[in-house]
Amino acid sequence: MHPVQDFLNFLILGLTRGSLYALIALGYTLVYGVLQLINFAHSEVFMSGAFGSYLVVNSVVEDGSRPPWYGVLAVIILGLTSGGLVGAGVAWCLERVAYRPLRRRGAPKLAFLISAIGASFFLSQLFGKLFNRLNNNNFPSFFDQNKHVVQIGGVYITLMQAIIMVSALIMMVFLDSLVSRTKLGRSIRAVAEDAPTAALMGVNIDKTISRTFVIGGFLGGAAGYLYGSALFFSNTMGFIPGVKAFAAAVLGGIGNIRGAMLGGLLLGVVEATVPTAPWYKPGWIGIEWTDVVAFLVLVLVLVVRPTGILGERLGRAA
Amino acid sequence: MRTRPLAKLAAVGVIGALALTGCGSSKDDNGSGGLSGGGGSKDSNATYTIAFEGPLSGDNQQLGINEVNGVQLAIDQANKDTSLGFKLKLLKADDGGVPEKAPAAAAQVLQDSTVMGVVGPSFSGASQAVGKKYGDAGLTIVNPSASNGELQDQGFKTWHRVMPNDFAEGPAAADWLAKKAKKVIVVSDKSAYGDGVAKAVSDELKKKGVSVINQAADQTTTKDYGPIAQTVKQSGADALFYAGYDAQGAQFAKALKSVGYNGIRMSGNGVKSDVFVQGAKADGEGWYMSCGCQDATVAPAAKDFASAYQAMFNTPPSTYSPEAFDAANIVIQAIKTAKESGTVTRQAVNDAVSKIDYKGITADIKFAANGDLPPGEGTVNLFQVKGGKIVSLGDITQAP
Repeated sequence: MHPVQDFLNFLILGLTRGSLYALIALGYTLVYGVLQLINFAHSEVFMSGAFGSYLVVNSVVEDGSRPPWYGVLAVIILGLTSGGLVGAGVAWCLERVAYRPLRRRGAPKLAFLISAIGASFFLSQLFGKLFNRLNNNNFPSFFDQNKHVVQIGGVYITLMQAIIMVSALIMMVFLDSLVSRTKLGRSIRAVAEDAPTAALMGVNIDKTISRTFVIGGFLGGAAGYLYGSALFFSNTMGFIPGVKAFAAAVLGGIGNIRGAMLGGLLLGVVEATVPTAPWYKPGWIGIEWTDVVAFLVLVLVLVVRPTGILGERLGRAA
Repeated sequence: MRTRPLAKLAAVGVIGALALTGCGSSKDDNGSGGLSGGGGSKDSNATYTIAFEGPLSGDNQQLGINEVNGVQLAIDQANKDTSLGFKLKLLKADDGGVPEKAPAAAAQVLQDSTVMGVVGPSFSGASQAVGKKYGDAGLTIVNPSASNGELQDQGFKTWHRVMPNDFAEGPAAADWLAKKAKKVIVVSDKSAYGDGVAKAVSDELKKKGVSVINQAADQTTTKDYGPIAQTVKQSGADALFYAGYDAQGAQFAKALKSVGYNGIRMSGNGVKSDVFVQGAKADGEGWYMSCGCQDATVAPAAKDFASAYQAMFNTPPSTYSPEAFDAANIVIQAIKTAKESGTVTRQAVNDAVSKIDYKGITADIKFAANGDLPPGEGTVNLFQVKGGKIVSLGDITQAP
């Protein structure tokens, strides 16, 4: 038996899952940063990204076809972009329809929550109606996802895992510099820090909020593509990853961008490694305790650091 | 004051139950129970309803569709038979395959006084949730697919089941596995069905001296089967038995492929469906399934059924379609028997079902006192996914 090797394999599974959580968590945290509210419909943005990218990917490759490596790469980039764009579009509409009218009327926070839940149900059922309600939809398979790209002894990373981790990393680095270096990023941080003052300084609040939704939606939609092609996609796929990503955002410090990334990765790793430990002997506490372990860690962290690991506030993140 | 409505309800329930037991034995006591409703039994134009309860939406809808089609076909064929002297209608009650939604579906069924029998609930958890309710109302249950091995011992008064339960299927599957493997990992999906099968299989394997590891992955919350698949691989087990349903089975199959698990992969009747094959695609190749059900495309007695089904629904019958067809025909037969002996009441129909000896397309069906097939009746078959299709390998006790 190989405890170290087994641990590393679970760690890789955890990092893969965590990268997806992190991408989704960013959507929660960005919106929380500028609006101080949880966009509970974000899980449906994630779901729509999967469906949107499926339509595009399915139209360019056939199931079972084996294009050359640059073809595969192009399709994956296309999938990420289309998933991201659909997610961004849905998030933009969401802000327009479910949030802005309430914001204009100065509605209480609870009203936002209800309209978000309503929008979430609506989107989930809409996609069920438009496509299907099966929970086993597959992306066309156009490359060998299980090919080992890195193999050291019994420890390996499959191609799909590598794609998820690398593309998540690229998007997160990109987002981080977008928020800390660009004018748009500065206005997002300004609104997060103090919206009325930002408005006085000439920041267009509506536009900034709208763009924040779009950025979060893009990341969520792209995550939808990655998740859908690694696992399955369905109109109800959003709920559980959504709840987990929300937990990850809280774990890292809601409103904090790097916190969401860290929280996502940490939650994924905890979920994959702790319930299976000790890694050489299955049946320690068992996989069915995954959620218990995950939320126990969340509670423990919040007891010690109520604002999450890195603390709240988008403004301070960069 | 707050207890009043409740007390009233309880009183009504008690009276109803008394009335029902009263009218069960006396033939001319037509309709005294009040619940027997449309029991104008001498009227040749009487229309009775057969209810189907099962998942017609949600993750497991495919199984419900397989079954409700079988029931529909039985009803349509019966309605063409003018000698029957009554007409039949189908009531579809969607319980999503989950215990939480089953009471509402059952209430919908019980409300309709013309309903004389229920085919379903398709799933064990749902059956567990409403078996008593149907029993207390005297409404006969003829179950085509809920295979949990403890359902017959719950004291449900009107319980009948046309196929062998998991305590028959599980050990048969385990006996077969014991011939192939020294160490087996059994993964339950934590549903009423999954836990029952997992226990039945594990117990029998241990009896045969096979070492067993038990694991679980909750079907309602597990979306990423990577870690459980990795656990299976690292356990060093030479066979896996997955006690769960088709949609999740497909996700599990994909994850197992991704971690490169090469042992025998087996599951029970819950996975045997097109949903598994289509979801898992190539990753599902080679999976074995045990099932106390018949392959309608192979069984000689089911030939006419298979072609009629194909003609009506434009798709071949699938898992549990033949069983549902038989179950519906048993109810129809029982209504006929009840009518011939005078009254068509829910109780009379239930009595007729209990005494039935029906030559169905899946088996010769008789019910033991607990509502199940008599011990030793009903064959468990072995199936395998080959070339994207589920192929029957025949009786599991004879299978190689």
